[in-house]
Amino acid sequence: MLNGGGDEESEATTPRVVTVLSQVLERRVNRNDRLLESDSVVTGKGLNVFQGARAPSISVSKYLERIYRYTNCSPSCFVVGFVYIDQLLHRHPDSLLFSLNVHRLLVTSIMVASKVLDDEHYNNAFYARVGGVTNSELNKLELELLCLLDFGVTVTSRVFDSYCLHLEKELLCNGSGHRIEKLPSSPSLGETEIPDSDSLKGL
Amino acid sequence: MAVAAPGQLNLDESPSWGSRSVDCFEKLEQIGEGTYGQVYMAREIKTGEIVALKKIRMDNEREGFPITAIREIKILKKLHHENVIQLKEIVTSPGPEKDEQGRPDGNKYKGSIYMVFEYMDHDLTGLADRPGMRFTVPQIKCYMRQLLTGLHYCHVNQVLHRDIKGSNLLIDNEGNLKLADFGLARSFSNDYNGNLTNRVITLWYRPPELLLGTTKYGPAVDMWSVGCIFAELLHGKPILPGKNEPEQLNKIFDLCGSPDEVNWPGVSKIPWYNNFKPSRPMKRRLREVFKHFDRHALELLERMLTLDPTQRISAKDAFDAEYFWNDPLPCDPKSLPKYESSHEFQTKKKRQQQRQHEETAKRQKLQHPQQHQRLPPIQQTGQAHPQLRPGPNQPMHPSQPPVVAGPSHHYGKPRGPSGGPNRYPQGGNPGAGYNPNRGGPGGGYSGGPYPPQGRGPPYGGSGMPGAGPRGGSAGYGVGNSNFPQQGPYGGGASGSGRGSNMMGGNRNQQYGWPQ
Repeated sequence: MLNGGGDEESEATTPRVVTVLSQVLERRVNRNDRLLESDSVVTGKGLNVFQGARAPSISVSKYLERIYRYTNCSPSCFVVGFVYIDQLLHRHPDSLLFSLNVHRLLVTSIMVASKVLDDEHYNNAFYARVGGVTNSELNKLELELLCLLDFGVTVTSRVFDSYCLHLEKELLCNGSGHRIEKLPSSPSLGETEIPDSDSLKGL
Repeated sequence: MAVAAPGQLNLDESPSWGSRSVDCFEKLEQIGEGTYGQVYMAREIKTGEIVALKKIRMDNEREGFPITAIREIKILKKLHHENVIQLKEIVTSPGPEKDEQGRPDGNKYKGSIYMVFEYMDHDLTGLADRPGMRFTVPQIKCYMRQLLTGLHYCHVNQVLHRDIKGSNLLIDNEGNLKLADFGLARSFSNDYNGNLTNRVITLWYRPPELLLGTTKYGPAVDMWSVGCIFAELLHGKPILPGKNEPEQLNKIFDLCGSPDEVNWPGVSKIPWYNNFKPSRPMKRRLREVFKHFDRHALELLERMLTLDPTQRISAKDAFDAEYFWNDPLPCDPKSLPKYESSHEFQTKKKRQQQRQHEETAKRQKLQHPQQHQRLPPIQQTGQAHPQLRPGPNQPMHPSQPPVVAGPSHHYGKPRGPSGGPNRYPQGGNPGAGYNPNRGGPGGGYSGGPYPPQGRGPPYGGSGMPGAGPRGGSAGYGVGNSNFPQQGPYGGGASGSGRGSNMMGGNRNQQYGWPQ
């Protein structure tokens, strides 16, 4: 049910930022999965609540595409959701983004980003259906995310831009030379807190 | 979360938000109630500090964490100004699911979330609605200047408040005014290209561009609301009390003239202009209607209640207006009278009792004249000085016994050093307690941003004599900002009795209230 069309098709309908984010995340998840398999690393408990028992069969790119298609949230939400996830990982340096937690982290963070950024947005019940989790679990994850972020959900335009740049760079390193198209400037991205520009270092 | 340097312990750091339990506070009394949640006055056990706890209700499963709360927290986290309410912390209370889930670190599932605010004694509407209350001109200037300072700060930080109204302007007993309830606020970009919702701002304070359906707007929307409040303070009652959107626009056009391409270039391109434009042009009558205002006040009001948002005065320019630099000058907030706390929460039962009291009082002819209308300001010049000034309504009610000075508040422990026997040099508020139903069942956040149909008629059919149109006040924003259908008294259940003053027997005895 979660398997949509082919990659080419999705490239055409999905904003570039979603595609880029997918590739960046998939690479990280694959790397971390290998690390965990090799037993050289053990992930910390900080993000346990986001961890499923089994990896969902849907790929990260299909999952993001699905979220984009159904929730119609603004493309900025994907960048801001990524910022949230990155900040969680910084607060829990022993935790890893891997195939058991990436989906839940994504749906939760994108949903919160949409609540923060978009005047029009779908409710948790809808996001739960899109994300394949129960309403009550998503609510719990939402609260968890907010507390883990210390309720600092604002992302400054500076941080936003630097994350975009980072996504582009990471893609360039990977041999794909496309730039992310200029994101529509979101009115919510005024200069504010979370001036945590150092966050990029850990990526 | 700052990390301690190697070899150091970071013991002094304030706890991260959401990590402490609400048990760190002792709830003293409920001061507000709405569909969104309750507001309590509470004392932090460790420090003794008095705070306001706003409970964020989480029982709408489909919505999850309320978006208004997310927005409010997000915005208040970045605003730090003496005229903006300070959000101190977020605390949680463990939920029932905790045990069932059997989590090793029990607090992972949070039952409810509370926002911890600095405590404020009053809000502007509650204060203004007190029977017999009369603000002086220096007092009005003082409040207005603080309002503009706070709003300017928000606008500079690219935040639109989008719900400026009296009940969202909190006032403490030091005379400080702070903007509160940022549940509808949002950031904006300077290019105004955002596609913003026009379903914001309580109807009576909503500017014409929003009523005409624009989705591209900026700080000028807040300045219209400020103009409405300014005029209301001088006039003694709300100036544009529309019952629904069309009527609201009509009232605006009736006062400010009808918009056209001359006085408001581009107006004809606003979505609903053609639906709402009056059949024949209307003249601007503002100066005529408010001819009793002084010249500088009128000048400033003209520039606030300008139809075209691009020509409307900004908070900064308003601050620089002649009005604030001419006699009588704004007074020092600290010189303002300290009114008795005006948000004792009432349960329905209590209100019932009060109604009975009132009936009894009527029969005994002890009842004071009910005032639907506030009194216009005292026209006095010079520096207001509490010691020289008579109680706010003594001229109106000479028969009232003066309140004995001293901390008659339940929780008379004021914050800060100002405590002591002279906390109420004004003799408290002689009006307090006379009209227990003012604010009545409404309270709160009446109306929310979408007050349309339910809102009016402001004085209609409540059977609550003297109930203020905006009800009491719940400046911490307890009302549910997201639901359109709120009665004129605010969200039905929201009996935020912040405006009411029915306290224990003590005060009533002072007033000779029948027990």
